[in-house]
Parts: sequence; C-alpha cells; structure tokens
Amino acid sequence: MTGERDQRERLAAAQAGLLRALLAGGDVPEGFDPQRIAVEARALLAKRRGIVAMLRPDVADELGERFRPLFDAYATAHPREAGSRARQDAAAFAEWAEERGELTPPRRRWWRRGG
Amino acid sequence: MGGIPELGVGIGWRPEIDLTVERLPGVDFVEVVAENLHADDLPESVRVLLDRGVPVLPHAVSLSLGGADPVDAHRVEHLAAVAEAVGSPLVSDHVCFVRAGGLDSGHLMPVPRTRDALDVLVSNVRAAQADLPVPLALENVAALLEWPDGELTEGQFLADLVERTDCWLLIDVANLHANAVNLGTDASRFLDEIPLERVAYVHVAGGVEHEGIYHDTHAHAVRPEVLELLGELRSRVSPPGVLLERDENYPADSELARELAAIRAVLARHP
Repeated sequence: MTGERDQRERLAAAQAGLLRALLAGGDVPEGFDPQRIAVEARALLAKRRGIVAMLRPDVADELGERFRPLFDAYATAHPREAGSRARQDAAAFAEWAEERGELTPPRRRWWRRGG
Repeated sequence: MGGIPELGVGIGWRPEIDLTVERLPGVDFVEVVAENLHADDLPESVRVLLDRGVPVLPHAVSLSLGGADPVDAHRVEHLAAVAEAVGSPLVSDHVCFVRAGGLDSGHLMPVPRTRDALDVLVSNVRAAQADLPVPLALENVAALLEWPDGELTEGQFLADLVERTDCWLLIDVANLHANAVNLGTDASRFLDEIPLERVAYVHVAGGVEHEGIYHDTHAHAVRPEVLELLGELRSRVSPPGVLLERDENYPADSELARELAAIRAVLARHP
C-alpha cells in the first residue's frame, strides 16, 4: 500500500502537467490525445476570454477585433494563478495591453470623453 | 445523515435572470453559486424566494475536491456559511479539480479514474464534510478529454466514492451526455453502476455539438438526447429534484418556461 502523501504527490504532478499543457503551452503529458488537449485548451481560453470581456466591456470594445488575438497572447504568457480572481485577470490584461500601447490608459480616456 | 427532502423542479438562480426566476411558474427550488454570494448580504431576489419558502441550494465550484492539495478550509467555511444563511438542506460541488501546480484552470477538470485519485478525493471529501453543517452532494462533470490509465468506469468511481464517504450524488445528465459523446462513456451502464438511492437531485442543461464534440455550454437549448437521458434515469428512480441550469445567452422567459415544462413532461412519463 502506498501512503496518502505519495498518492497526493503523484496526483499533483499529473494534474500540474495537464494544466501546464492546457494553460501555458506546456508539453502534452504522456497518454493524452494531443487533439483533445488542443480542444480543451481552446475551450478554457474561450471561457477565460469571455469572462474578461464580460467584466471589462470597455476594454473589449476599444480593442475590437484585436481583443481576441491580444487576449490569447496575454493568456498563454500569463496563465491564471491559483487563488487569483477573475477581476484581477481582467485588470492585468488591461494593464498589459496599455503597456503595449494597444489600449488608451484610463486617465487619457477620461479626458477624451470630457472633451 | 438524514434523507433529502422532495425538491421538485427548479432552476439555477443567477443575478442576470433574478426577476425571471421569481416570475417563472412552477419553480419549486433554486440553486445559487455559493462563491458568488455573501452569507451576510444575500441578494434581495434570493431573500424574496426564501420568504416564499422556496428552498435555495448552494452549489460550489471551487473546492477542487479532486485536486491533490488538501481542501482549502476557507472555501469550505464560506460554503457552510452560505448554507446556514439560506437554511439549505444540502450543498454541492463537483468531482473535479480546479487548481494544480499553482495554476487555476478556471473550469471543472475531470480527475483520473484511478485508485490513487479516488483515495485522495475520498480524503478531501471527508475533510469537507466534517466542516459542513448539511449533507454534501457531488456532481459528475463534463469532460472534453480522457485521462490515460483509468482503472474504473465513471459509474464505479462514483459508486465507490459514495460508499466510502456517504456523500450524495448530483447527477448532471447533460454532463453524462457529454461524456457519452466525447469519451464514449456508456450512459446506461453509468446509471446501472451508480447508487440511485443516493441521487439528491439532477442537473439538466443545454449545450452544442461542434465537430463531433459536445460542449456543455449552459448557453444553448437543452438537447433532446439530454432529456432522453433524464427519462432513462427517471425510469429507474424518482429523484428528489431536477434543476435546469442556464448561465449565458439567456433566452426569453417563455423559452425557460418551456424547458422547465419539458422536464416536467419527462418526469410525468414515469409516474
């Protein structure tokens, strides 16, 4: 019989490997169908993108057609960390897009709206 | 642990359709996503439903009971507090993991159907049960991919889980349909293998098939195959409750009413 600690360690390694493949472009773990990994990765990305678009419609609107490719690039480079919140994810993406000059920083946007 | 009271037919309460849920005819009970509620500041609509005597069942999505990490006591504490606040007869989460290796998948991921994974799940479920004031029901999830080296069928996995933890089951027939399409799960065998007397209630939801893969979206209409599975379950057992889940792309009230009526019609076929 194996102890619970060993079982947890084996499971942790297996689950972490799967999430790295799905969320961060990691290698497909042995025994998984690479096509299904790709389908699941797209589904998880679409869900995350949809939540960010819902939380920050201003960001999605301003980026328009650029929203999707930009978000997907951001998301793969920044998989969501355990314990993080969707709102933090949305804010981090907006900041990431601003740093790249893709999005107007919030203060300027306010001035523009006033003028 | 006592039994589960008769619940009837219900719908998932969501802030976007709060008034709809209040107005819809024949809503016997509702479910709320536990993580979206504050126990000491319930939404007015939820209080309206409670005042009417409508049971409100907290449904959790973040305990990650199938994960390798020990259960997060704060998340269980929150679920317990919400259960107390709404006076729920039971709470639920899923047979899944959400977090691993410091990452959050943002979704309900299937666990490997191995003895190792089952032992860890059992240990986590017992830990959660110890801190919950009411019975815990666990839901089968929809998978897009299959883990290698499974040692048990999904039905056997759930049956063992119930036997070892005395938990209840929340059977999602749309998820069962998803796994039948996506993984080749034998739905009839699944229903043969699970302890039907431990089904607390049933989920019904909509989805869409795309390139041979069924996506459990909760944003599309309920498919006839899913209602057929509900009928197959109902031909074996009368579950205490059946609940419709809709999370996005909300249709007209009349469409939700029609789906609730379709569920009632299936249940009535087996009096």
